[in-house]
Amino acid sequence: MNRRLLSEAKLWLVAIPVLLWTLIPIYHIFLFSISTKDSAFSGRLWPDHPTLRNFGTVFKQEHFYLHHFWNQIWNSLWIAVAAGAITLAIATCAAFAISRLKVRGGRTVMNAALFTYFIPAAFLAVPMYKAMGTYGLLNSRWSLVLAMVTIAAPYAIWVLKQASDKLPWELDEAARIDGATPMQLFRLVYLPLMVPSLVAIFTYALLLTWNEYLYAFLLLSHENTIPLAVGLGHFLASDDSPWEILMATALIYGLPPAAIYYAFRRYMVGGLTSGAVKA
Amino acid sequence: MATVVFDSIFKSFGSTKVLHGISLDIADGEFMVLVGPSGCGKSTLLRMLAGLEDITGGEIAIDGRVVNDLDSKDRDIAMVFQSYALYPHLTVADNMGFSLRLRNDSKARIEDRVAHAARILNLQSYLHRYPRELSGGQRQRVAMGRAIVRDPKVFLFDEPLSNLDAKLRVAMRAEIKALHQRLKTTTVYVTHDQVEAMTMADRIAVMNDGRIEQLGRPLELYDQPANLFVAQFIGSPAMNVFDGVYKNNSIEALGARWPVPPGTSAREGQSVKYGIRPVHFDFGSGIDSEVVVVEPMGAETELVVKIGGQSLTIATHGRSSAAPGDRISLAPNAKHAHLFDATSGLRL
Repeated sequence: MNRRLLSEAKLWLVAIPVLLWTLIPIYHIFLFSISTKDSAFSGRLWPDHPTLRNFGTVFKQEHFYLHHFWNQIWNSLWIAVAAGAITLAIATCAAFAISRLKVRGGRTVMNAALFTYFIPAAFLAVPMYKAMGTYGLLNSRWSLVLAMVTIAAPYAIWVLKQASDKLPWELDEAARIDGATPMQLFRLVYLPLMVPSLVAIFTYALLLTWNEYLYAFLLLSHENTIPLAVGLGHFLASDDSPWEILMATALIYGLPPAAIYYAFRRYMVGGLTSGAVKA
Repeated sequence: MATVVFDSIFKSFGSTKVLHGISLDIADGEFMVLVGPSGCGKSTLLRMLAGLEDITGGEIAIDGRVVNDLDSKDRDIAMVFQSYALYPHLTVADNMGFSLRLRNDSKARIEDRVAHAARILNLQSYLHRYPRELSGGQRQRVAMGRAIVRDPKVFLFDEPLSNLDAKLRVAMRAEIKALHQRLKTTTVYVTHDQVEAMTMADRIAVMNDGRIEQLGRPLELYDQPANLFVAQFIGSPAMNVFDGVYKNNSIEALGARWPVPPGTSAREGQSVKYGIRPVHFDFGSGIDSEVVVVEPMGAETELVVKIGGQSLTIATHGRSSAAPGDRISLAPNAKHAHLFDATSGLRL
């Protein structure tokens, strides 16, 4: 009994700081977003006159920095979904070809995929900018989509390959004997069985892109093409930033990922860890 | 319905040779069992017939047509796997009809064929379930249903009963045999279990180390094993084998004289292996032995006895009053004894 109490106490000792570490900034954002401009920096734990007016300002685009709010959040969504979908398509085909069809050079591709993570994203920023410029894609949402696909795809291929390796090999053999062509095997057997991993990878790429700042800032500069993450950054351009409105926007910006993660949490845990270790 | 011909089949994985020139003719409608210890190449041979492994050398023909370069799907075969290999996301009916769906058969025809197979296998009430909702035996039946639905030229079974418990295995054994008697489709069945081989086969090919040691009807293998390996592999409990020397028309072994089987080709002074099955002993005047273990099994009793320091197994019908430590006298039945060359292991 004492021992159980002790181990539980140890657990709390870790859990409480972690919880505070995570929640305090979020509470801080929330606090700012419901405060008026005057009371934002009052230092109180709860504002005297909590208000939702900041959110109204955001939704109605009634601030200088928010004239393109709806446009920018749409950009964020568009880019994230496109990057997620393209990453998923590439990674699924690659994983199927390498894991199930055993194409030559599959191992090399896998190692190369892993190798890309030795190069930090910041290191690639300038070449990426140059490449996009060469193709005339700067200031097009596609530039960010393609950049994010190159970043997300190697990990996605790696995870999906590991997950496909776990599907019983006999299923492929049974399907081949049943008369399936590789395409039928892919469509009728492989895809349905991979659904949990596919959902996890799609969500991963989508959230990675949604949260991306560096490449978005670099590749897109027109107010109509930037995602909201970059739009939020613009708030800090002035000496007297409207913190309460920035935080309200940030809170709104943070909700979709939380919702997506919550909706697919079952797949996220199973899907991402299933490929996490090389069995 | 079809014949299957293996013509000097070789197989290597890299530098490892696993099959060394297997030739085997399987008749139309025959139930052929490939049996042998694990690693003997029996599954590889079956998978080559299925088109799941490349053929390193030799030719395989189904119904007179060489299939070496033919895809699995064009060989008109159906295979039942040890792990069942059912598609987990499809219902029993969809699993069974999968091959027909790939062939673009009409929906009505697929339903008709699936219903027909389900009737044969008693699966009608499970058609809408998923594999995870079935017991091991039911899954095995679905796997067989998937094969039946296609009405293939050849059925292939790769250790289909290994994952079932002992009781179910015996029941499924009878079911597969009954199925074969009903459909009369040429069948190649791989197992490591010699009891399965004995009870189900029309003919058995005993394999060891990438070669066929002997090919024959089950009782031929039991009565006339061609060599020591077959002698010890076929039959349960296993044959007693010990060293001896042929002298004066009998075998001197374990400090006793053992009767020689009629018609042997052994020469005077030749070193031999003497083999005799546990059931081929009579009690009475003969060789003196000491009882070590008594294993009553109801219908029969197995005794482990010591003769000249070596343990031998004796099986008797009915009960035995012997107890450990007793001395009993055994008379080996010469007609059922076997002599093998001590070095080559071949039957003499």
